[in-house]
Amino acid sequence: MTAAIEAGTTPDIIMEGPERLVSNWGAKGKMIDLADLWDDEALADISATSEAVVAACKSESGAYYEYPLCMTTHTMAINKELFEEADAMQYINDDRTWTTENFEKALQALKDHGVETTGVVYCGGQGGDQGTRALAMNLYNAEFTNADHTEWTMNSEAGVKGLQQLVDWCDAGLLSYDSGAVASDEIQLFANETIAMSFCWNAANQLTYAAETAFTPYPVAFPSESGTPELCGGIWGFGIFDNGDADKIAASKIFIEFICDDATQGPISISNTGFFPVRSSYGNIYAGTEDEERMETYASFQKWLGDYYNVTLGWAEQRTAWWNMLQQIFDGEDVQAAADAYVETCNTATADASAN
Amino acid sequence: MRKKNVTTRSKVLVMRETRSAYLFLLPSLFFFVGFVIIPMFMCLFTSFFNYTMSDFSFVGIGNYVEMFQDEIFQRAFWNTVLIVVVAVPTVTIFSLWVGSSIYRMHAVTRSFFRCVFYLPVVTGTVAVAVVWKWMFNKYTGLFNTILSGVGAIDQNVSWLGDEKTAIWCIILILFTTSIGQPIVLYVAALGNVDTSLVEAAEVDGATDIQTFWKIKWPSIMPTTLYVLVITTINSFQCFALIQLLTSGGPKHSTDTIMYYIYYEAFKLNRYGFGNAMGIFLAAVIAIFSALQFKVTKSGSVD
Amino acid sequence: MKSGVKHTTTYDVIVMIIMVILAVLFIFPVYWIVTGSFKDAAAINAAIPEWFPKNPTTDNYVRLFDKPAMQWLFNSVFIALMSMALTCLTAAMAGYALAKKRFVGRGLLFTFLVCAMALPKQVVLVPLLKEMSFLGLHDNIWAVILPTVGWPFGVFLMKQFSETIPTEMLEAVRIDGAGEIQTFLTIVLPIVKPGIGALAIFTFITTWNDYFLQLIMLNSSKNLTISLGIAKLQAEMSNDFGLIMAGAALGAIPIIAIFLMFQKYFTQGITMGAVKG
Repeated sequence: MTAAIEAGTTPDIIMEGPERLVSNWGAKGKMIDLADLWDDEALADISATSEAVVAACKSESGAYYEYPLCMTTHTMAINKELFEEADAMQYINDDRTWTTENFEKALQALKDHGVETTGVVYCGGQGGDQGTRALAMNLYNAEFTNADHTEWTMNSEAGVKGLQQLVDWCDAGLLSYDSGAVASDEIQLFANETIAMSFCWNAANQLTYAAETAFTPYPVAFPSESGTPELCGGIWGFGIFDNGDADKIAASKIFIEFICDDATQGPISISNTGFFPVRSSYGNIYAGTEDEERMETYASFQKWLGDYYNVTLGWAEQRTAWWNMLQQIFDGEDVQAAADAYVETCNTATADASAN
Repeated sequence: MRKKNVTTRSKVLVMRETRSAYLFLLPSLFFFVGFVIIPMFMCLFTSFFNYTMSDFSFVGIGNYVEMFQDEIFQRAFWNTVLIVVVAVPTVTIFSLWVGSSIYRMHAVTRSFFRCVFYLPVVTGTVAVAVVWKWMFNKYTGLFNTILSGVGAIDQNVSWLGDEKTAIWCIILILFTTSIGQPIVLYVAALGNVDTSLVEAAEVDGATDIQTFWKIKWPSIMPTTLYVLVITTINSFQCFALIQLLTSGGPKHSTDTIMYYIYYEAFKLNRYGFGNAMGIFLAAVIAIFSALQFKVTKSGSVD
Repeated sequence: MKSGVKHTTTYDVIVMIIMVILAVLFIFPVYWIVTGSFKDAAAINAAIPEWFPKNPTTDNYVRLFDKPAMQWLFNSVFIALMSMALTCLTAAMAGYALAKKRFVGRGLLFTFLVCAMALPKQVVLVPLLKEMSFLGLHDNIWAVILPTVGWPFGVFLMKQFSETIPTEMLEAVRIDGAGEIQTFLTIVLPIVKPGIGALAIFTFITTWNDYFLQLIMLNSSKNLTISLGIAKLQAEMSNDFGLIMAGAALGAIPIIAIFLMFQKYFTQGITMGAVKG
């Protein structure tokens, strides 16, 4: 895509997330402001689902570079049968949350039951890094960035404590890490029952792996000290590239409106993605389908959608710095020092990006 | 050529030769100038700019200064050097050994082995990388299964996730995808060494090793030069394996300049900085190749 | 070809054993790709490898052909063949001129070519991308072909081959009044033909595997090549290995077949030219 933008051969319409549409291409003046699609009705309807979605689609200058279609929250998943055998289900609340303390007990129970590798903190690349971010951040309820999205904050006391906890669990043999794996590798290990949990799960993954898992992947929230998790989300929607042709832009807007807002097409578009509507008025679009039960479970996680910090400038640099930092701490480097260095790298990138 | 007393006739001849030569060179020069020289100059030019998606301002040698201060770039540079320094001689020596071992075999066996060693080349890097990634897997991979099976390791190794092993895994895969071509070349070259010379040497009581160094080695020298050149190019270009297997990790131990250029230019849109690294790499390779030419030329018996 | 090996020595036995072990190592990935392409998802992801598909399925191929896989294959073949043809033609002409003609600027030009030869073309990707978009060729398979043809390696190789053309022969036909084109077609081409064969295969293979250039230049699904297509099948969050293996097999098998068919010609080509330098 970068190549296409540089080459000037971008399509008119693109479906992406705010971290690209808003804070990357939008901020660099490549996108069209979609404020006219965001009329009062849309604004109210989407706000009713989550203010975080509205905030994510809006740039610092107040322009809307994304018109959102669907969203999801990223969760983790456990092997239900294995947890039951190890008598570890007791540590998970009915609303599928758990505390850090209980998570540790569950790990111990699995270990005692003879599970060789409980879970793998993957850090071999950026693929599926939302899982490791949510894990480290929630353990002691840290914040990933400040509220204004201008600084990174995982070197805070709570952040470092969470990272240190992961290292400690790995040292104690309760958890494992792999600097050579990304999320897709980890999910494969989960699917073939090598490990008991995955840190990178959502509604779409469950569907993809439904055919090949011989067990029940049971989605749960990330463990947190307070018991109230803050989950990472995904928000997908449309942006229009500024190709300088007013007619094309107008046509693109009509198309986007049809795909997202048409009373019949809207829900169909969303169910094709396997995720959830950003418009609260659509209600449960999966009602009456064979997906109803599964989707209801995942919909119940929406209420824990955390701040959409992905729109912080310097996002791309942050993603690389994150897994590199994880590799360092698992390799025995001082957690505070590694986290400080990571935050410094990210803050420099953020400052550079906002200076331009 | 440039004698003072050039006759008109030879001047005309030189002119005619020059004209016809350039006509023959024209198609090639069109592509060479258009798609190598012009981009090269654009690369050099833009390397002096802070050139991003939204900015194009002159920074002088700023990018170069930043490059030399950039620790990741330094790692990437030394990793690239390591890959070249290890891969080029091992590929050359190993393919020469395989080549000289199989060229004496029966035609069918020879064909068979030649094809086998060529397989990774024709299978394609992407497909090969997928299989190797599975073999290197920490938990279910083939290597760990075998090694722990025979008791060589008591803890699973994350081959691609360990700073000490990752780059060697990359080099190993690079090795398997690089030796096919040289082996084919060496088999052909050795098969073509003048047999009368070899026989004469044997009659004179030369040992196999003597025959090899005195007769065969000089006559396969051009092949060796060719092998060195293509392997060097190949090794400096090591990118796909990194992108597909390690993203430069763990802890930048497999970052190569090529991958780092890709990362800076196409992931972070820092084109000017990427171009500066490109120019630097170009200069390094030029020096490296010049040395290779010099060394092999002086070593060959012309 | 037959050299005087009279009897089997211990060394020969050891060599044979090592060769066989290596052969297994080299064949394995291909075996794994081909068998993997016939496995169902559970079998391919199994923690304990299934050495041979117990329940072979063609499902992976069915799903592969839901995507424009044949188009990818066609693009790969077209790019490789076109680069090969253009490279061979331009390089044969230029190589002959450089080797056999004494003209103004020859030394300088040759130095230039040699210097540029070893540079990876990826180094100039950013400007190349700009240039291609200026020419309206981004996301067009010609954007991959043109830079490949421009790379001077072929010219260098063909110059080496052309050195073997006997100068007396060229002079003889010139005295007979043959024109430049006639000389090139009747004298030069037949002599350097083996070199062209070698260059052809070399270009074909390198272009086929030139993942980086394709990655940058090609974008839309219908313009992908097979290796790019396979790489793009690897999603961020889930790996459909069956599909990837099917794609890999589709990409590898035609080219293995080509190599098997042409290997004799290929090896002969190298033999006659490069060896004599």
